Amino acid sequence: MSDKALARTLGFAIAAVLALTQAPVGFVRDEGYYFTAAQSYEAWLRLLLHAPLQAIAQTERYWSYNFEHPGLAKLLFAASHLVWSTWLGVLPDALAWRLPAFAFAGLLSYWLCLLGLSRSRAAGVLAPLLFWCAERTFFHGHLACFDIPICALWAGVGVAFLRASGPGLALTYGAALAVKHNAWFLPPVLAVYALLLPGDQRKAMLRKLPWLLLSPLVLFATWPLLWHDPLRHLRDWVAFHTHHVHYAWWYFGQVLRGPPFPVWYPVVLDALVLPLTNALVLAAAGISLLWGFARRRLDAQRLLELGLAGAALLPFLLTTTPIFGGIKHWLGFLALLAPEGASLLVRIAPQPRRLLAVAAATLLPGLWQIVHVHPYGTSAYGELAGGIPGAATLGMQRQYWSNNVTGVLPWLNAHCPPGARVYFHEVNVESYRTYVRMGMLRPDIRYAPGPSQSDYAALQWHREFRDREPETWNAYGTRRPATGLYLDEVPQVVVYARPGLPGAP
Amino acid sequence: MGAWVKHGRVMRSRSAFVALIAAGAASLLFDLTLPLRLPSEADWAEAAGALRGAAQPADAVQLWPVWAERARLFVDSMPVLAEEDLEEADYPGVRRLFLLSLPRTPFYSPPDAALQARGATPAGPEQRFGALSLRAWDLHAAPADPITRAAEEHEVDYVARHCVLVPIGGRLVERAPARATLHVRAGVVGERAYDANRPEIVVQVFADGLPVGSLEVPRTVRDGTGWRRLDVALPAGAAEREFVFAASSPDRNRPFCLQAWTSG
Repeated sequence: MSDKALARTLGFAIAAVLALTQAPVGFVRDEGYYFTAAQSYEAWLRLLLHAPLQAIAQTERYWSYNFEHPGLAKLLFAASHLVWSTWLGVLPDALAWRLPAFAFAGLLSYWLCLLGLSRSRAAGVLAPLLFWCAERTFFHGHLACFDIPICALWAGVGVAFLRASGPGLALTYGAALAVKHNAWFLPPVLAVYALLLPGDQRKAMLRKLPWLLLSPLVLFATWPLLWHDPLRHLRDWVAFHTHHVHYAWWYFGQVLRGPPFPVWYPVVLDALVLPLTNALVLAAAGISLLWGFARRRLDAQRLLELGLAGAALLPFLLTTTPIFGGIKHWLGFLALLAPEGASLLVRIAPQPRRLLAVAAATLLPGLWQIVHVHPYGTSAYGELAGGIPGAATLGMQRQYWSNNVTGVLPWLNAHCPPGARVYFHEVNVESYRTYVRMGMLRPDIRYAPGPSQSDYAALQWHREFRDREPETWNAYGTRRPATGLYLDEVPQVVVYARPGLPGAP
Repeated sequence: MGAWVKHGRVMRSRSAFVALIAAGAASLLFDLTLPLRLPSEADWAEAAGALRGAAQPADAVQLWPVWAERARLFVDSMPVLAEEDLEEADYPGVRRLFLLSLPRTPFYSPPDAALQARGATPAGPEQRFGALSLRAWDLHAAPADPITRAAEEHEVDYVARHCVLVPIGGRLVERAPARATLHVRAGVVGERAYDANRPEIVVQVFADGLPVGSLEVPRTVRDGTGWRRLDVALPAGAAEREFVFAASSPDRNRPFCLQAWTSG
């Protein structure tokens, strides 16, 4: 099998594994918004096919929703749903929307494999596995969101800069720009990188840089919102992210509400949420790249990996960038360290048997974490944190953005009387509608705005929302839950029922 | 020289190999044995049964670590408390505290020292129900009478409190038995306590018309400081008095909660 065939096979295999394990993954708050956006954009696509001029004239109407993120990923979610669900009717809605995310996960695996293959064949295989064998990364691979797509394109831009032609680089960077604003940081990284290269390599790379000027065409082409009044929409896009709110985040027993955040926050969080062995190998990879850089012994590829990994992390070391969302915002940091980490494994165990042993020792804790915690990926913590109970004792964020509610939906379906009103707490109405649409929640179960207007309450345990539980006790006149989702004994979602209703204790 | 360098590299590789195998084995050992350190449903049911058999008025259960709130599914014989600072928690009206804990969980720190520091003593032997530990503690609390009688609970500083919502700018008037010491606790409910640039709230306290103290409740900056305390000796007077709590602040738009009792 050729190197590229091996990389393709790994990419397809990982995308397939994600597709096969997506059904129980709940819808995070953001995903609910992107599903809604995809429905609006799908309506626009259908209009485009039937009345193109009308569609072009009405971009504002269909594309204003979720103006804060560019179009490409959501356009792909919409197109996938249009083809696989609306036209062919062969895939359920959520799987159809998520399908492009799996493609990005496959692409990420493909590019990580290529970066690893430049060291050795074994490193090529191990690099994507090192990234994916952790419940946090595995979980994020399932979502119709932008974190894995931009992580993939972060690596893809690196590969394109090293190996592709100018147009190929422009296209890849354009795709990154059209997926998420993280891409704004890439041109300076590539420029500094090029300047650090020796003689001829520097000239060749600097000559590639102007191709990036064409990349905004991809952004423009895939984001019809920009087709009318582009300057205003670009300004709104930038302003949203330069004035982004800070969500409360629990960290070592303190709720972080705003800057300055702890400078080592992202590194510490990586160490705590990843399986210990992954964390150790990736830390060793980072040190190896930094040591090589200090001794001026990095080749062009390793230097770029160091630059891209650092650039993915750097904004979150500034102490002012919003830090909510666990590790998802700097997944590129982990991904770009994975090829070096894989190479280190091969270096310490060059013989096949020893390599197998060291690969198993490194990856099995992550596989166990996936088997044990999936689909509740935002709750996963590694051994250094003492697992989920240890992290709860340390006072770490327990979960985020409501996807864990899937753990109690079967109970609600079984116990709620017809037309029951359920307070779903952090589950937004968009995600609620998708649960109903997917058949994961009975359609007669109604969405209640608060505990006092509800018959049942599914409270997600968040430090900053602790007032909701006494509020529910007061409204229901009971302090005893009916059921809940507890991971290794740690409360994630606690369900209360009004006394006298089915399922009430 | 070259041989030495090569030897050094081989030794480093071997050490890294052994370290990684050891880290992987230790990680798996931790992961696979973690369920053995956690209680089963039967453990919870047995502990709840033991509490049911021992329950008396003025008993309460304290969970430790505080996140072990799965207990609420099982314990039905007495209030379940999740106070975070066992040394400083008030436990008004509680005489005997059952400590229900998960001592085998990672980073578990025994609460005994905190309880002993407040003068509590064990009131019985430790009982084990699988991974659960249950022990009664006598708090040796002075007799107390509530002034505020809240059926409701509100979260202040991340703990559910039996406190009464008092509108800022308003007054709470309660007639209650008066013991030697007046205790007032107050804070802003929920995340509003952390709202930036908010002025402090002041509670003026009167007993039978006489000012007996005041409590300032500034904006909470650090977790664990939002439930403000006032403990003051009451001047001699009637055995039952009218207590008035007047809350004031230039900013009235916050849910403010107050609890008061006398003891001694």
